[in-house]
Amino acid sequence: MQDGSGRIVVQNLTKHFGQVAAVQNLSFNVEPGTVTGFLGPNGSGKTTTLRMLLGLVRPTSGWATINGEPFNRLGNPARIVGGVLEAQGFHPGRTARDHLRVYTAAMGVHDQRADEVLNLVGLAAAGNRAAGGFSLGMKQRLALATALLGDPQVLVLDEPANGLDPEGIAWLRAFLKAFAQSGRTVLISSHLLAEVEQTIDQVVIISRGQTMYYGSLDELRSSQQSRVIVQPADPQRLAVALREAKITNVSPTPDGKLAVVGATIQQVGDVAAQAGIALYGVHEERADLEQLFFRLTAGQYTGQMPYAQAPPQGPAPGWGAPPPGQQSGYHQQPGYPPQQGYPPQGYPPGGYQQAPPPQQGGYQQQPSGGWQQPPTGWEAPPQAPPPPDTPPPGPGASGGSDGGNN
Amino acid sequence: MGNLIRAEFRKILTTKMWWALLIPAVGLALGWAWLAAKFFTDVGDAIEDALNSGGISNAELSLSSLALTRAMNFASLFPMVFGALALASELNRKTITTSFLTAPSRATVLGAKAIVYTMWGLVYGVVVALAASLGIVLGTTGKLPDASDWLIILFTGILSCLLWTLLGMGVGALLGSPVAALLVLLLYAGLIGPIAEVLITAQNPDLHLAGVMPNGSANGLTGSTAAQLLYDQIQGIVGGNPTPSERDQFAVIARAGAGAPGAFSMWISGLIFLAWTAVFFVGGLLRNNNRDIT
Repeated sequence: MQDGSGRIVVQNLTKHFGQVAAVQNLSFNVEPGTVTGFLGPNGSGKTTTLRMLLGLVRPTSGWATINGEPFNRLGNPARIVGGVLEAQGFHPGRTARDHLRVYTAAMGVHDQRADEVLNLVGLAAAGNRAAGGFSLGMKQRLALATALLGDPQVLVLDEPANGLDPEGIAWLRAFLKAFAQSGRTVLISSHLLAEVEQTIDQVVIISRGQTMYYGSLDELRSSQQSRVIVQPADPQRLAVALREAKITNVSPTPDGKLAVVGATIQQVGDVAAQAGIALYGVHEERADLEQLFFRLTAGQYTGQMPYAQAPPQGPAPGWGAPPPGQQSGYHQQPGYPPQQGYPPQGYPPGGYQQAPPPQQGGYQQQPSGGWQQPPTGWEAPPQAPPPPDTPPPGPGASGGSDGGNN
Repeated sequence: MGNLIRAEFRKILTTKMWWALLIPAVGLALGWAWLAAKFFTDVGDAIEDALNSGGISNAELSLSSLALTRAMNFASLFPMVFGALALASELNRKTITTSFLTAPSRATVLGAKAIVYTMWGLVYGVVVALAASLGIVLGTTGKLPDASDWLIILFTGILSCLLWTLLGMGVGALLGSPVAALLVLLLYAGLIGPIAEVLITAQNPDLHLAGVMPNGSANGLTGSTAAQLLYDQIQGIVGGNPTPSERDQFAVIARAGAGAPGAFSMWISGLIFLAWTAVFFVGGLLRNNNRDIT
């Protein structure tokens, strides 16, 4: 039977719906104690992959296991893995509590558990209301509550933040982090990197049903070469001086500055000083992840963008794309070193309620109050503003890629 | 499995469908039995008058058994609808996702559903049988059927309700859409089937084609029983030794009167209907054992 590891393994997973290749040869692992983001634009195969993992869709080829077994061999699967899937159904006339009690019966857990999870997700006051009257955000909470009924070791969530208000999203982040820190496994899909960037440790980026990147988020970040943007009195002379100093990757920017790759601010400043060129401004610029995400996933369903906010196409050499070794190597990367700082997997049974997570957002602290907002004490760090001269990765750009999907 | 059966019962009892369909089923069975019993009592009186004037005295027919069987036959549309929604509405509302995520395998979910809907088919059958019985008691002024005859008719009616429930479930599972399943089932069992059976049988009364069809065999299960009982009764009154062809002719007429034109006898009809039920039911379950839930 299942090995209790909490590990998810997806190997060469492929699914064709008729002529459409929804997922092609996808491989990745999800380790316990981590939150893994599963990212890709709409229609890239995320939902199909998660449904194959959960035994709802039959793969054309390849396989996916949880705890070393395919879903349908897990025995009582809801005690091992909880799934929050997109557009999960509720009978509109059934109350939230009754809905949960159907499934406590199915998985053989106490009916009290229904009330516990209602408290957990902040729906206690709405337990006797019919799910048909719930808002999208409340339905997401109820879906999460259903997934948690069996006190599972693995959580699989498909776009769980859809319809959640900002407070709800913040709460969900804290919840998932605490869940993973108790040694459990979280796999969460999203089409917005920014939405999950603060939550996830590992990331799998797919586009057109294929893996584009698989590895840690930090590695992805550090794979980004920074560039120095310099505003000299005479760009041409500085470019020549830099070339003489063997700094060759220099390109002019549209606003009359120079972009220098492969040199530090100090080096650029020294060269300018030696050449006697005044500098009016120097700063270092890093690509933000959202842009990188764009570059990795661009091309699918490219919509028309009448407002000229095209995402960056055709990256400048050395600027942005992950190093080639990264891309070729990720399939053979099953056992990356365990994450630092997480407790070992063998937490005491039922112990995640008692074990104080290191951060305030422990979800056992939820009050039994209304569903409105369980306070977590967790605050979202402010979003770093995008660099000034890069196209904003905002709604315009993502709206473009979304729109082409319809 | 016990857990999943409990879950299926909760699914049914936490929504309104079971009583929203049971109430009209009771109303229809009761009302139809009542009115039909009144009508058949009048017909029976006329026949008795004719027989009596022909020199046979003390003839009493219990034609209300025809009312009993027809009432249950009509009311079985409701358990059929109930069954049709069993899986189709879960597929439609996507609750099937969670149902499959919380069970060891799809086969166990579908098996538990089959068991629970068998039980509910029985519940519908018993309630409908009681309502139809009450209806003929209220509507009959002459002789009621004998207790043993009555029980046999009720038994076939209950069996019919049970099989219709499972057949409905199978069709719903095959089509995967409540609207499609209800359209197909109601149009067929309520309109196309009965009309086709009458037309086919009217063209060739000796042909049992109508009795082979799903609705025709279901009617035969209940109708042929009542017709047979009636036949025995008349033979008992009239006496004599009818030839096989006379016997057949009467059976055709009586079965048509019982709403089962062209039907086989009770046992054969029952087996044919059971086979149809099995075909749809097993087909529906197999379909859902492999279906991609997207």
